[in-house]
Amino acid sequence: MSERLERLINLTATLLDTRRPLTLDELADRLEPGYPEELASRRRQFERDKETLRELGIPITVGPVDSLGGEIGYRILPDDYYLPDPGLDPAERAALHLAVTGVETGGVEPLDALRKLGGAEGEGAGEAVATFALPAHLDLCFDAVARRCALGFAYRGEARRLEPHGLLHRFGHWYVVGHDPDRDAIRAFRVDRIESVPTVGEADGFTVPVGTTPADYLASDPVTFGADAPVRARVLVAAERAPLVVGALGDVAVEETRADGAVVVGLDVVNIDAFRSFVLDLLDHAEVLEPPHLRADVVAWLRAQAEVAT
Amino acid sequence: MSRPLAGPRLARVLAIVPYVCANPDTTVTELAERFRVPRSEIERDLALLPMCGLPPYTADRLIDVWVDDEGYVDIRLAEYFERPLRLTPAEGVALLAAARALLAVPGADPTGPLGTAVAKLEATVGVSGRIAVDVGSAPLLGALRDAVAAGERLELDYHSYARDELTTRRVDPTRVFHVLGAWYLDAFCHRAGAGRRFRVDRILAVRPTGETVPAAPPGPAPASAPSGAGVLTDLVYEPRAGDRRVELRLAPEAAWVADDLPLDARVDEADGSVRVTLAVSGDAFLERLLLRLGPAAEILGPPEVTELRRSAAARLLERYTR
Repeated sequence: MSERLERLINLTATLLDTRRPLTLDELADRLEPGYPEELASRRRQFERDKETLRELGIPITVGPVDSLGGEIGYRILPDDYYLPDPGLDPAERAALHLAVTGVETGGVEPLDALRKLGGAEGEGAGEAVATFALPAHLDLCFDAVARRCALGFAYRGEARRLEPHGLLHRFGHWYVVGHDPDRDAIRAFRVDRIESVPTVGEADGFTVPVGTTPADYLASDPVTFGADAPVRARVLVAAERAPLVVGALGDVAVEETRADGAVVVGLDVVNIDAFRSFVLDLLDHAEVLEPPHLRADVVAWLRAQAEVAT
Repeated sequence: MSRPLAGPRLARVLAIVPYVCANPDTTVTELAERFRVPRSEIERDLALLPMCGLPPYTADRLIDVWVDDEGYVDIRLAEYFERPLRLTPAEGVALLAAARALLAVPGADPTGPLGTAVAKLEATVGVSGRIAVDVGSAPLLGALRDAVAAGERLELDYHSYARDELTTRRVDPTRVFHVLGAWYLDAFCHRAGAGRRFRVDRILAVRPTGETVPAAPPGPAPASAPSGAGVLTDLVYEPRAGDRRVELRLAPEAAWVADDLPLDARVDEADGSVRVTLAVSGDAFLERLLLRLGPAAEILGPPEVTELRRSAAARLLERYTR
């Protein structure tokens, strides 16, 4: 066990220190504790070591040893390994410790990150004030945002492409937002609904428009996430549910307050399914006023269910 | 005897070396606290390092570790490990999500140490201003948090989602927290005579009673916040044995809904549809669910649920046809 750990440390040091890629034979000659003589088990143990390093975030570059391109060698590029010093002071490290203990994300990653940044400073939080889920592929999306790589993935059974500008968390879900080159428009995708492991394109594959932030996509409620042509809808909400709806949408959504306390709220709808759900969730306390095609959509939807033979 | 895996220990060693190099007055005790392991683990790590280095492993190529009598640690000849390892994307996003979430909680100071730490980290990783976390800002959140801190008894007007009714109740708040998109209040409810969990966005009004809560709240608070709740159901509802059970078949495009429902049973069919048995607390909840799903939900039983959907749809239609 500690022999393997020693070899892993020495392997990391050697691959970081070398100026040119080293072949497996060269590594086997130099490293202590060494690899087995027998070639198949040597290769197997080296692959296992490489995998352990990869899991820790240590990337091993594979490339030809010389310009003739004959032999393959390995090294760790310093730029891939070293964390640029963020220059955190003790108070900032203590604040991050509070954050990762006060916010439950269901994994060990934030504590691993904290360790790389100099360990846990201060006491941390006794009790979580917030709980988040970090869905599969969120890390890939994050990496693509950081390096400006185009993403490709399956979504609702369709192949989609996205130049990701940012990540945002809202209503308990993560969205990756950006420019859809096929539709030439801004789009938001729920990360937990991505149906395939995303493909990640080359670094610096696009530029992010200056002055945009993911907060720009946070302007309104979930009915604004979608692919339908934008349309302004007006919904009448009865007095007894008005405070709930206004509380959720904000005062800016109120277009009219009636004598009986009912309100008319305005929504920019780009997702008809989500809009219909929003209205139906209010049961008989709400009614779509405009536009006619959205009103007709809700009526047709309800009629289909009201006229089911029983 | 089970030994720790090589990976986590390697990660710790690769973090300890740069920390000690940057902080020459570090002690073994401080390292143990900082890296959350017993002193003996740190001592094992430090004992291992002098056997490591670069080929040909002569004295001038091996890492030099010195621990003095008072526990001060000095590490030399480890230039290649003097700076920490980059964050993996998973680590980066988890750390920034947690920090951004705490910054988004109403009342957080964006100019404080957490705010500056996030700005520095985002710049380092190359995602400045590209991660946004919204935890919502229910208007009554501040009043509820203050009441928990001060131990005040409150009167609430509350909208019960499952039954679609409004109630007024006196509560002793114990905890306010956020889970997956919604804020919750745990409190002892005098109307129910037991601990209850409320969704903050369904509290319509809060009034002080002028009373304070006895030091130990009467009755146990619900267990710590479970995870996994979604948009359709929430943490307020905990199914009881006597609650109605409904069996549905969800079409493939609606199968994801199953993840958000309180299920007794679930069968994934070969065609991508899902058969579920779910517990239902009130008719209003079931009406909403069925109306929203529409043709994507086939009712398998009991038979009166089909009539419940039909009559709910007819009732809503009256608003549009009168």
